[in-house]
Amino acid sequence: MSSSTEKEQVPRVSEFQANLEILRQLQFFSGLSLEALKLVAYLCARQDFRPGDLLFRQDEHDGTAFYIVSGQAGITRDNERGGAVLRTYDKGEFLGGLALVCDMRRLFTLRALTEMTCVTLTRDRFTKVLEQFPEVTAKVLQTIAEAIVVWEQRFLTEGRELSEVCGRMAGMSLL
Amino acid sequence: MERTDLPVSRRPLSSWILASGLKPQALLLFIILIMVFVRVLPLELQKRIVNEAIRAGAMRLLFIYCGLYLAAVLVASGLRYLINVLQNAIGERALAQMRKELYHFILTLPLAFFRKTQPGMVVSALVTELASAGDFVGMAIAVPVTSVLTLFAFAGYLLWLNPLLAVISLGVYPMVFVVLPQLQNRANVANKHRVDITRTLSSRIGEAITGIHEIQGNGSFRLENRRFDDLVDGLFKIRITWNLYRFAVKVCNNLFNNLSPFLVFIVGGYLAIKGRLDLGALVAFLSAQEKLYDPWRDLVDFYQTYQDARVRYRRTMEYFDGVPDHVLEPDKRKPHDLEGSVEVKDLSFVAEGGIQLLDRINLSLRPGEHLALIGFSGSGKSTLAQCIGQLYKYTSGHILFGGKEVAELSKRDMICNMGFVSQDPFTFDGTIRENLLYACASRVEGNGCGASEVLPSVDEMIAVLQQTGIFVDVLRFGLNAVLAHDEHLDLATKIIRVREKFRRQYGGQLSDFVEFLEESRYLYYANIAANLTFGSPNRPSFSVENLPTNKYFLRFLDEISLTSPLLQVGGEICTQTVDILGSLPPDPVFFEQSPIAPEELDDYRQLAERLQRAGLTSLAAADHQRLLELALRFTPGTHKMVALSEPLEELLLRGRIRFREKIATDDPGAFSFYKSSDYIYSQSILDNILFGKAKTVISSVEEKINQSIIQVLIEEDLLETIVEIGMEFQVGTMGDKLSGGQKQKLAIARVLLKAPRLLILDEATSALDNRSQARIQGLVDTKLKGTTTLIAVVHRLDIIRNYDKIAVMKAGRIGELGTYEELIARKGILYELVYGKGAGP
Repeated sequence: MSSSTEKEQVPRVSEFQANLEILRQLQFFSGLSLEALKLVAYLCARQDFRPGDLLFRQDEHDGTAFYIVSGQAGITRDNERGGAVLRTYDKGEFLGGLALVCDMRRLFTLRALTEMTCVTLTRDRFTKVLEQFPEVTAKVLQTIAEAIVVWEQRFLTEGRELSEVCGRMAGMSLL
Repeated sequence: MERTDLPVSRRPLSSWILASGLKPQALLLFIILIMVFVRVLPLELQKRIVNEAIRAGAMRLLFIYCGLYLAAVLVASGLRYLINVLQNAIGERALAQMRKELYHFILTLPLAFFRKTQPGMVVSALVTELASAGDFVGMAIAVPVTSVLTLFAFAGYLLWLNPLLAVISLGVYPMVFVVLPQLQNRANVANKHRVDITRTLSSRIGEAITGIHEIQGNGSFRLENRRFDDLVDGLFKIRITWNLYRFAVKVCNNLFNNLSPFLVFIVGGYLAIKGRLDLGALVAFLSAQEKLYDPWRDLVDFYQTYQDARVRYRRTMEYFDGVPDHVLEPDKRKPHDLEGSVEVKDLSFVAEGGIQLLDRINLSLRPGEHLALIGFSGSGKSTLAQCIGQLYKYTSGHILFGGKEVAELSKRDMICNMGFVSQDPFTFDGTIRENLLYACASRVEGNGCGASEVLPSVDEMIAVLQQTGIFVDVLRFGLNAVLAHDEHLDLATKIIRVREKFRRQYGGQLSDFVEFLEESRYLYYANIAANLTFGSPNRPSFSVENLPTNKYFLRFLDEISLTSPLLQVGGEICTQTVDILGSLPPDPVFFEQSPIAPEELDDYRQLAERLQRAGLTSLAAADHQRLLELALRFTPGTHKMVALSEPLEELLLRGRIRFREKIATDDPGAFSFYKSSDYIYSQSILDNILFGKAKTVISSVEEKINQSIIQVLIEEDLLETIVEIGMEFQVGTMGDKLSGGQKQKLAIARVLLKAPRLLILDEATSALDNRSQARIQGLVDTKLKGTTTLIAVVHRLDIIRNYDKIAVMKAGRIGELGTYEELIARKGILYELVYGKGAGP
């Protein structure tokens, strides 16, 4: 709008704009056109968690991806190591992308360790985007494949000491 | 109504004439006879007017004859109208009958038929193609009889007037009989073609629409366009040819008709000049001859309609010429009451094209035993279930259900004793209650099954809703219902009580998730209009959609200088939403967070363009109105594309106070302000209980709120009332307002309500999450074990332990059959499926 009579107000950034900024930084969505990305940003939701709240439960088919805006969460496995936290996820991390493309069972439980705010996206909604922008599927697939290769590469180099057990399980990128 | 034994698809067109009822046809004939007489009368009067009245100068006679003439004409028109009405009624009744019987018949055709048939094909057959056959039945007696009789009457009159002239002028018609049929035959050939191409065309359209994701996914527009265009071109050509012949028939007919006056003028003129024919007779002759044209044309039209109807009717019926696999009703006996045993012996099923889907299957189940069918897709497990459920007719071997051969049982025998839940159960347009009762209602309808034929009670329905785990969903639908004003007064007061109790017990706990209505705070989950007025309107002129044109309200906005900021917000929303939603289809997922409804998107898109070109201030008043409408709908908690600025928020809060003062003096009854002691009729039951809005739609939060509300509803004994309201929820066409899981649960609920002896579940829980699946499996293991024979096609191996028998299918055969423990101990196929290939225990 060009009118100069409109007075400048302190703008609050809309949630949509904020989501769009976040998504643009994420590897998982890097292949998406701006049009598709806008739609994804529009379909995202914000969710707050208190410490101890579950983001998802082991064996659940929740089909949700999370981006952590603030706070920290940790994954555990039921009946293993007394439910100790195996790994933590922090501000700025994106997880659960795979759940957006296939109906999968969670192998972990994800629990909020502090107060958290997340941007969430569900598979049902993401599927709608894929229906509208079919070319996205191929790009997402590529991103996932690349991630698998990178992951196994890291596994092979960093986990060399564990090679006795891991060696037998190698070949994830040969899927 | 007369009925023949032939299936409807084999009945000749003429049979419908008889079926249309002899009484109306006879009445029609009678009226026709009168009319023919009344039609000939004016001719004689005409002659007499000229010869007796005018020539003789007898004024009195002139008046009498003219009076009679007028009367004859009026009566003839009246009768004509009557005939048309009758004819039409007969035709429409025949058409309705044809449609009904064909539809009833089509529904019974084997499933294989529908795999090859596009829905569009059936639609066009029932809706358009049969129409001409109906027309024909209406005309079938009336038109030919009227025309032929009138023709004979006029011809007779002509002969009586002057035999020579008559013979000459009628001599033309026999020639027509030679030429016309030949032209018509060609038109028929073209018409047959046309019907075929139209059919291919409609199934192509149907296919493209159903497979649109594939077309867009592959970008195969050109390919599809070419295929379609070729068909349309073909149709174009054939229609032109068809019409060429049809017009040729008409023109040819006209030509012959116009030739005969020519002959009359030549010969009659000659005779008149010679004084061998009086002038009155010539006038009468000419007009009688002219009148020959009408019945003749009717006759030719009838001939054309008949030919067209015949071709279309034949073509349509040929298409549906199949034989249902099973008879619908038992022959002169009550439906069997079958024991729940199943015995399969040497069962094979060969599909069209010689593909062997099932190969010598043997198994047996005692009443109440449970069988799980597992195996890879394509192994034939679903086919086996469908054969046992009589959905397919097996090609050899036997299936004995309660000792009776399934292939020979009637459909009613089956539905009285068996329940089937398919992979993607279909939910029909209607309420939850109607869908829940679908299986029971179809058993009760018609002849019934004997015994106790009553529909289940509400309590029974609620029980199955709970068992299948869809209870909370239905409750939710009930909570989201909006009560009609002044109805359920009793319920409204009770809900106020629930509201108080809920606030006391859970208010603090849920304050993070619920935005309670508070007069001093801005409501992010209510729209701007509600924020300003803080109440629900009691007059239509103050409803959100009417506020932008409500002068009083607009003046108020100007007074508190809100007009311009609101327009700005409206403009921003418009631009952003149009930008995001672009040209997306009207999927509810895209529009649930949009203040613009799907049907308005086009208008707002154009508005957004004007806004960008001209700027906000130079827009027309109508555009301003539409932007204001958007702004008033804006709910920051839901519509996330735009943020609500702080200054505007403050402005609106101040406006709220001003508005209340103003309306209190000007029009106190216009609004009911939100008060915790009043029921708010413009809002849902849920919002009334919360006295506010739930902030998120996230399931865990929703569950927390649900749990708390259910608790209070139980305490206040209102739970069932709300669920009953929820059962009136309209599920939408094909149940599109329900999720896949909800549809499956509903399908299982409706079969449980029916409580059949034999239950077949064909991957009936595939769309359910773990917990729901476990719940249903629990139900199967406890409630159905020993009472209901169960055959379940299962794709998940973690739920099969408790089945009495497990059949592992492989390539159309049973690879293994036994209990879970037996099969695992055998270390065969099941073991491999469960533990993976080559894995150690």
